[in-house]
Amino acid sequence: MTTLILAMLAAGADAVPLDSAVAKVLQTNCVACHRQGKAKGGLRLDTSEGLAKGGNSGPAIVPGKSSESRLMRAVSGTDSELSMPPKPRKSLSGQEAGILASWIDKGARWNDSTRLVASGQEAEPTKPHWAFQPVKRPKVPGDAVSLAAIDAFLRQRLASEGLSPSPEADRPTLLRRVWLDLTGLPPTLEEIRLYEGDQAQGAYERMVDRAMDSPHFGERWARHWLDLARYADSDGYEKDTARPNAFRYRDWVIEAFNANMPFDRFALEQLAGDMIPGSGPSQRQATGFHRNTLTNKEGGVDQEQFRVEAVVDRVNTTARVFLGLTLGCSQCHDHKYDPFSQREYYEMFAFFNSDAEIDLPVGQGPEHAVWQKAMDAHAAKVGQTEDRLKTLKASGDAKAVAAAEKDLAALKKSAPKPPVMPTLARGPERPTHVMIRGDFLRKGTIVSAGTPAVLPPLNTGAQPTRLDLARWLTGPENPLTSRVIVNWFWSKLFGRGIVATLEDFGTQGEAPSHPELLDWLAHSYRLDGWDTKRFLKRLMVSAAYRQSSAWRADLGEKDPYNRLVGRQSRLRLEAEAVRDVCLAASGLLSRKVGGPSVRPPQPAGISELTYANSAKWVESKGEDRHRRGLYTWFQRTSPYPMLMTFDAPDANVCVMRRERSTTPLQALTLLNDPVFFECAVSLGAILKAESGSDASRLRQGMLRSTGRPPSLDEEATLAAFLTTARAKLAGKDDAEAGAWTVVARLLLNLESVPVRE
Amino acid sequence: MTGAVMMKGPVMNPVHGLARRGFLTSAASGTGLMALAHQLAGAAPVANPLSPKPSHAAPKAKACICIYLEGGPSQIDLFDPKPKLNELHGQKLPESLTKNVRFAFIQKEGARVLGSPRTFARHGGCGMELSDLLPYLSRHADDIALVRSMHTEAFNHHPGQLLMNTGAPVFGRPSMGSWLNYGLGSPSRDLPGYVVLSSGRGTSGGTSNWGSGFLPSTYQGVLFRNQGDPVLNLSNPPGVDADIQEATIRALSSLGAGQYKHLGDPEIASRVESYELAFRMQASAPELIDLSREDKRTIERYGLDRKEPAIKASRGGGPGQFRSFATNCLLARRLVERGVRFVNLFHASWDHHSNLDNELTHNCQMADQPVAALLDDLKARGMLDSTLVLWLSEFGRTPLGENRGGSSNVTGRDHHPFAFSIWMAGGGIKGGQVLGKTDEIGWSILEDPVHVNDLHATILHLFGMDHLRLTYRFQGRDFRLTDVGGKVVNKLLA
Repeated sequence: MTTLILAMLAAGADAVPLDSAVAKVLQTNCVACHRQGKAKGGLRLDTSEGLAKGGNSGPAIVPGKSSESRLMRAVSGTDSELSMPPKPRKSLSGQEAGILASWIDKGARWNDSTRLVASGQEAEPTKPHWAFQPVKRPKVPGDAVSLAAIDAFLRQRLASEGLSPSPEADRPTLLRRVWLDLTGLPPTLEEIRLYEGDQAQGAYERMVDRAMDSPHFGERWARHWLDLARYADSDGYEKDTARPNAFRYRDWVIEAFNANMPFDRFALEQLAGDMIPGSGPSQRQATGFHRNTLTNKEGGVDQEQFRVEAVVDRVNTTARVFLGLTLGCSQCHDHKYDPFSQREYYEMFAFFNSDAEIDLPVGQGPEHAVWQKAMDAHAAKVGQTEDRLKTLKASGDAKAVAAAEKDLAALKKSAPKPPVMPTLARGPERPTHVMIRGDFLRKGTIVSAGTPAVLPPLNTGAQPTRLDLARWLTGPENPLTSRVIVNWFWSKLFGRGIVATLEDFGTQGEAPSHPELLDWLAHSYRLDGWDTKRFLKRLMVSAAYRQSSAWRADLGEKDPYNRLVGRQSRLRLEAEAVRDVCLAASGLLSRKVGGPSVRPPQPAGISELTYANSAKWVESKGEDRHRRGLYTWFQRTSPYPMLMTFDAPDANVCVMRRERSTTPLQALTLLNDPVFFECAVSLGAILKAESGSDASRLRQGMLRSTGRPPSLDEEATLAAFLTTARAKLAGKDDAEAGAWTVVARLLLNLESVPVRE
Repeated sequence: MTGAVMMKGPVMNPVHGLARRGFLTSAASGTGLMALAHQLAGAAPVANPLSPKPSHAAPKAKACICIYLEGGPSQIDLFDPKPKLNELHGQKLPESLTKNVRFAFIQKEGARVLGSPRTFARHGGCGMELSDLLPYLSRHADDIALVRSMHTEAFNHHPGQLLMNTGAPVFGRPSMGSWLNYGLGSPSRDLPGYVVLSSGRGTSGGTSNWGSGFLPSTYQGVLFRNQGDPVLNLSNPPGVDADIQEATIRALSSLGAGQYKHLGDPEIASRVESYELAFRMQASAPELIDLSREDKRTIERYGLDRKEPAIKASRGGGPGQFRSFATNCLLARRLVERGVRFVNLFHASWDHHSNLDNELTHNCQMADQPVAALLDDLKARGMLDSTLVLWLSEFGRTPLGENRGGSSNVTGRDHHPFAFSIWMAGGGIKGGQVLGKTDEIGWSILEDPVHVNDLHATILHLFGMDHLRLTYRFQGRDFRLTDVGGKVVNKLLA
């Protein structure tokens, strides 16, 4: 030993190689996890630099003092919280621990530039995961022109499996499909006539354009986006206080989609609208995206804990929505599967850690004017009371003066509150620590803002901001955002993503079914300036989109999940659209766009489920009873039952992909819920009032509810049912109206009503 | 909106007659018109997500009744006697105990130990010590396993409730009942596999306590209501009578079968079948809540008609809870009898920051008798062996009195997550034992700590499920009820 140390000293202070026995202990026990590319706990033990730097919890060793060194505590098995190496790996032998201890006691000398490699370690994978590689524009198979590129990619793959695509769906099916997909509503009678009347070349494209120009386009795609934004009208948690101003963010999203805001701008304004040079109220409003996090106002909570939780949610949501990454997995430890360290998690965290929740007054506009008017009236009232007080004071009536003073104080307190919008903005700078095991009370080393090393660099100054992050996300180098977003759009039109795990493009996600098509789409979208309407149209004019959705035995056997898109997917509509379709079919739907959330009729006893019955449900009046589902007030601890029954997300975390379940409660809702029965009554009245034979009226009803005429068999069944209904209600008041209501109820419960064929 | 179908007035119960005629029901075989059409078409039957599925190992428990007392009942006054507290009453605790502790409301300066006026006696062959507030339950000492060493991280209600009900203190996870139905399905053909019964005012967590999180909504708890329809939208609209409903379902099945033949999408079959199940539920749910055929003794034993003492309580749920809680206990037995997998009873009002003695006494008067009657009843019917009964809450209460805002009028206790008590009975649980030990003031656990995840691992084990293998992939991760923890507590097993 002595000889060795002498040798080291002789080598000079500049480069001290590591004692070979120590190196062996580290290589056998530690380096596999504490090395370049996999620094568990932020600690690297493969280089002298890493050792000197320490890990997330602080320095690994105190040179000269093995008893005070964290490393020794970890390997000695004396600390139950910190026992290394982790099971099932073997603990260090007494001899091995001794080697480390005496090396540390002697100063832990090591400062050469070698890098230790774990014993038995496999070679590092050379090729990074597909999703982290740059997006390249692939060559379109065959000699297709670019319009047909989508079909060229899909057909090549189908052909390789010996399969053929399905024929084009019939015109009524296409019409309803396009309008449901683009606006979430069935086509209006006027649109049906327009499309029927247009038999010229390009009629389909013109019809798509009309749907995209509809103001309901923004509503439909806003609703999809609100799932990602975990939008709700209340705080969540016990108190679940109302958020009467949350809707302004929803309005912003609707308008952004309707105005076809380029997606890179759309992302930028939501993530950093407060920091864009020259930003105005609209950009500030966009930051409401990250104001949808939960707020816990339960008595006795540690506010810092829930502030941290909100930041965690902002980080996780940003990573999921734009990068398709499960970054949240590295909040408490290094990511188990993907190359993200816990330290990198907190570097992302640092982008959001100094933000403040700020409610800004809404700018000039109709709402402001309404408030101003109320304010003026209030000021006038205050003035009157003050005058009265003056007069009373002069009169010397002490009792009356006291009463008037009380009135005045109360009046001043009741000034109408100016309308505000929830925004996120930079607040005072806060240092960001790695939180040991994700526990906000256990602060580790301080980190600064940065993006994961496996992705292209930020290329900004030393102090990157949230604005830099937002620009980086849609920057030309970023391999993920464009892929993730086009995949998300694709899934809404085809029922499934090219990458089926929309929210996970990491190594645990599903591989893309058509990697080249995905890249071609991602590349085109960016090349087109992130033009969303243009992109959607590109998908919708493809033959693949226009295929029939009918089940095919050959496809069912070879491709049960329709990954190859040999047909269209038949999709049960989302909860909100189920409501909208029935309201539209029965002529009740209010087509008013935007504004505050509404409270349509809800069964008794639902709001009472909230904490101490705190969230009162006061039914809306007039047309607000029949607004689209996306405007229904969403109370997080007692969501509107119809929405939940049809798989609406609970709005607590970002959801990119909804479940589609089938339950008897759905049947009971469509059959018996007062809202849906109101639809039946209304549709029944419409059918009864129609002129013409029973058969033509039944045909009308079927067209209204499903968008297609009945088959011969269906016509017979419907007619027989009408006869039965009349017979059963015969002799009652208004039996004919009753019979048509019952028929309408049947029509609205047909299997294909809540379905996009 | 007038007319035959919108006539006001009493709505006749539409489906009683139908159930007897057995149309569409064939509950035993579960065969509806759609399934018949299906078989005729030669197609494979559509998998019902709630069909019973095999467990990982032979199960002891087949059903679970989880009685959830929201708020945190005081373990010191009910289950874990601490005479030392009376000795120390009014004194401060050493700083070493409270230094690193976060309280919801207690102000550390000036916090004083609060003694308990309760008396404890030994019960049953096992000599379990229980409080004088639980005279009925005390007769079941030999049936229950009392765990005095539960602990949790969450010290606020909603996160605590989420942890206890879903295994993690965050929104969006499936609850216990959802996991069990997802893993095992439900033997009940005519009722949902997971039923929730609530009395009193709402809980902090609202529906998130029985939500299905990221699992399909098929597995979410279905709230049976104590006003109006037992299940939301169960009754037909005014004027739609049983015959019309029958004809409607028939026509829907026939039209659905045609559409299925035409398009071949299995989803069509499963949607039509959901209508048939809904129809059967319309018959079975009213039958379920109709207690007229229960014998009088049973109604008495559960205490449905007890006189409810008046109480002035700020956090009480209002009058009528004695009856509704007792009814829910009886309904729980009826649900399990009918094959329901998981029954969740909620009662919110156990958060005794003040006025603890009066309100805890009142609540125990409400709960003690019906819960004990439920154990009796299950036992008498031979169902206790296969029915796991749980008494749970999110945490316990502090040995310190609560001095919120520096108040000197100390009449309650704050939240205590470090050591609290729950009990379990039946379903493969070894009764007549006390598991775990706390220190002499009930501050910390001395022996056999049981974390919430451990409790869940044990519950799944009783159902023959390995908590590490019951997983669901969501957003890139395999989630489980036990999150990233959980060890089966073998000492609790029979």
